[in-house]
Amino acid sequence: MANVKGAAVNRTAEDEGKAADWIPGTERQTVVDPMEMFHKLPREMQFITGSEAARESMRRANIDIAIAYPITPQSESMQQAGYLYDEGYIKEYYRAEEEIGTMSAISGASRAGVRSLTATSGPGLMRGMEAISSWPGARTPIIMLNMCRVINTPLAIQPDNIEMSFMLNTGILLLHAENQQDFYDYPLAAIMASEQVDVTLPAVVSVDGFFCTHARGPVLVTPEEYKLPPRDGWRSAVPAMDNENPPARLSRDAPIQKSNFISYHMHSSWQQEVFAAVQRSAKYFRDYLGGLIEVVNPGAEEVIIASGCAVSQAREAVRQEGEKGRTVGLVKIKSIRPFPTEDIFNAIKHAKRILVPEFNQAGWLHKELCAVLYGRTKGVIKGGPRVFGGMTMPTEMVLEWLADIRKEVK
Amino acid sequence: MLIQDNLFLTRTDPSGQGGVQFLYRVKDYGLSALSSPQEEISMIHWEVEIIKFTNPDTADFEICHTTELSDKTLKFYKDKSLNEFLQKAFQYFEELDSLEKMLPKES
Repeated sequence: MANVKGAAVNRTAEDEGKAADWIPGTERQTVVDPMEMFHKLPREMQFITGSEAARESMRRANIDIAIAYPITPQSESMQQAGYLYDEGYIKEYYRAEEEIGTMSAISGASRAGVRSLTATSGPGLMRGMEAISSWPGARTPIIMLNMCRVINTPLAIQPDNIEMSFMLNTGILLLHAENQQDFYDYPLAAIMASEQVDVTLPAVVSVDGFFCTHARGPVLVTPEEYKLPPRDGWRSAVPAMDNENPPARLSRDAPIQKSNFISYHMHSSWQQEVFAAVQRSAKYFRDYLGGLIEVVNPGAEEVIIASGCAVSQAREAVRQEGEKGRTVGLVKIKSIRPFPTEDIFNAIKHAKRILVPEFNQAGWLHKELCAVLYGRTKGVIKGGPRVFGGMTMPTEMVLEWLADIRKEVK
Repeated sequence: MLIQDNLFLTRTDPSGQGGVQFLYRVKDYGLSALSSPQEEISMIHWEVEIIKFTNPDTADFEICHTTELSDKTLKFYKDKSLNEFLQKAFQYFEELDSLEKMLPKES
């Protein structure tokens, strides 16, 4: 089973047109315990774009195969993945036909037991959604980078994270990166959490495109000579397919695909197990990310709850309010799935006024919060400001909304 | 990477356009260095303003185009060249502060 516990690198210097002494990058790296990588290894500051941060994350992720199809603003990151393939840090890499092909192929790769990475944006995610929504049930721990952009007409390629709402109820693990640093850290954490035997689920790391992917920011990175442990395809809720001994069995239990009383029950319990596995992943994310949320100014009566780029704008608003002598709290949600309900509840116990700024029209985070906090908090939860279609969210806008809710809720 | 000397504040661009803003401060003067998202990585640059702080305790400032350093917004494509400019600017701000202290105060 050479292809299960980390794929063998079958690329020779001659094949690659490299010098005779060429050694693939991944073979020069040393495997390190994930907790060591996330919390103990020394870090060096680099000032890089989000796409470059994704590249440095992939370099250390021990990825066996990457498959993608270009779409703005994701293309830049997967171009960087191409450089990593050239350097031998990613073992296999190709451009698929389009997103249905990409998301289906990456599923096959993951079923074969290797660490599989893809990336997409907005309309690409929508096109691949049929295949993507099948990943959790197939228990394929795929890692997907999702650079959010507008998905609806009129056409735009600017940031808007409405697409994340389409993944909320699929059984996928979903993280939301605030900045370039998160886009380096979160994929590594997501890979390790998704491959735990009691999780075995795909993980998506979303980031608001352009603002992060195409802008530089300070990123603390670990030394590139260290990488994550390889995937062990047999250490999964559903073991990898044995491709060397065909026929391989795609579905775990054939009766589940019939239409009868037993199949319905089997399907139902299968889905329950997927969503239970999402909850079980929380303990790993807590360890890897140092918590599912970050809290600034705990105990404040006014709190902003946000994820992604909206956190950065809220962070500056909180700072400016502090200059005026007002204490405003901030809850940054790192993990959308699993949703950190109890963590948030504990963080907003004293809040009277809660503001939820978002980069989308629907306000999916506001709805999510209202659903889980209904009847549990006396604080008023107000959705806004909301910007979408590529609009920006100046700090002044957050400050104005804070002033409004202060007048409305005494 | 830009130098950290006299770095007063690092924050996301308050305009909401994405990117990062570094504020440097020497006494009442300073610089704002803004790096914004660009379509191509090679187009990413620093947009630099000379600024004058309007409050000793906060990050409030006005753009200042009346110093000898520059009368316009500056562009730098390399960290190295901006770092060289920053070093010169810090020295200039120290001298400017000394000179301004010598001026008679308005009653």
